[in-house]
Amino acid sequence: MKFDLDFALSVVPFILTGLATTLWITVAASVGASVLGFTFEMLRRSNRWLGYLMRFLIDAIRSTPVLVQLYFIYFVLPVYGVTIPAAMAGVLGLSIYYSGYLAEVFKGGIDSIDAGQFEAGKALGLRRRDVIFSVILPQMLRNVAAPMGNYFVSALKATPYLAVIAVPEMLGLAMEVGSNSFRYAEPMVAVGVIFLILAVGITQLVRRLEKKLLAAHTR
Amino acid sequence: MTKEIQAGAPAVRIAGLQKWYGSFQVLHDIDLTVQPNERIVICGPSGSGKSTLIRCVNQLEAHDQGTIEVNGQVLGKSTPRMHELRRDIGMVFQHFNLFPHLTVLENCTLALRKARRLPRAEADDIARHYLGRVRIPEQQDKYPGQLSGGQQQRVAIARALCMNPKVMLFDEPTSALDPEMIKEVLEVMTDLARDGMTMLCVTHEMNFARTVADRVVFMDAGRIVEQADPETFFSAPAHPRARQFLSQLL
Repeated sequence: MKFDLDFALSVVPFILTGLATTLWITVAASVGASVLGFTFEMLRRSNRWLGYLMRFLIDAIRSTPVLVQLYFIYFVLPVYGVTIPAAMAGVLGLSIYYSGYLAEVFKGGIDSIDAGQFEAGKALGLRRRDVIFSVILPQMLRNVAAPMGNYFVSALKATPYLAVIAVPEMLGLAMEVGSNSFRYAEPMVAVGVIFLILAVGITQLVRRLEKKLLAAHTR
Repeated sequence: MTKEIQAGAPAVRIAGLQKWYGSFQVLHDIDLTVQPNERIVICGPSGSGKSTLIRCVNQLEAHDQGTIEVNGQVLGKSTPRMHELRRDIGMVFQHFNLFPHLTVLENCTLALRKARRLPRAEADDIARHYLGRVRIPEQQDKYPGQLSGGQQQRVAIARALCMNPKVMLFDEPTSALDPEMIKEVLEVMTDLARDGMTMLCVTHEMNFARTVADRVVFMDAGRIVEQADPETFFSAPAHPRARQFLSQLL
């Protein structure tokens, strides 16, 4: 069977009807994962026992497949009376999955900040949360912009997993084209190219942001 | 003499202070009382516990036994609202520890705005006043990385002064500076001392100690082995360890 470029192009608009879903899930999951990951890392540092607990939680999240987590949220939780709509379950699943990785990234970003920064904030009489949000967080973000961006791209590329819980994202739509027409090459190439363009776009955006952060305060 | 009237408690009162790092005792039986407006220089060989001692005064390091009172309030691990008490204790670090992501002005206003909850304009005015006092008013919009070491340390002093502390702690403020920048920082510190600031300075600048200090505290191996006015200390140190220390300096 020859690859039919015209057919490939013709299915693009249909696949793109899932673009909005893919994008908002990516953005929501990235934000969710960042907030969760930062919270986990802050709790991990707060005291010894909570530290052990968070360490375990972060490792557990990173050591289980994202699909298992998604199935758990979408199929197991309802058994216990917690029913979450598919898209929300997807956002929650990806947020939790990537929070584990981002917590690690944040750990590195904070470890590389000089201990004197914490001490200076403390010595000035700042509350712990002011030290965290006004002193540590901005410096951490500068350190971790690049790896954080990588995980955002990774979250984008993980959205097709949500096809298994019937979220109408782009891979699911491409599969629909495939199973209706019995032609898989064209929709797969089309969806692959769309993801490629999106990923490159996010990477460029992050690079630009990183440059901006670095230029803002010459150290 | 009869008991002093408690019009003002001592600025700092340390009694029977002990501190361990694991099994190693870094501070032994430290007793030190600093009156308001008094200027103390703490000196001694490296590893003698000077920095640890003044870091206990604002509880950047917790002590294990003994009491520390600052401005009449007892400080310790379980002291509630420790962060509020620290606002009255300024600290200047060896490596400045300015916030690199904030401008000079923002470095000075951060605590005013977050801790004292002052509006921006008011905080800016206070910061400009103190930047003027450390003779660096024209650099307010630069980032710390754009300043020399001496300028950075003067900003750090201004940042601490902005909180209007009752006591200032200096932890080797000139040790990380090139020789030509030491002078500008010492001048600012001397001004501060003349204005009556209560100061505890850990420093190796013996000329500063001689001219500014009311009292020199000499530490060795975690103990205060000698305390004297600078004249006595420099001309006739009593303790052999102090004599040895001074002979190596001069």
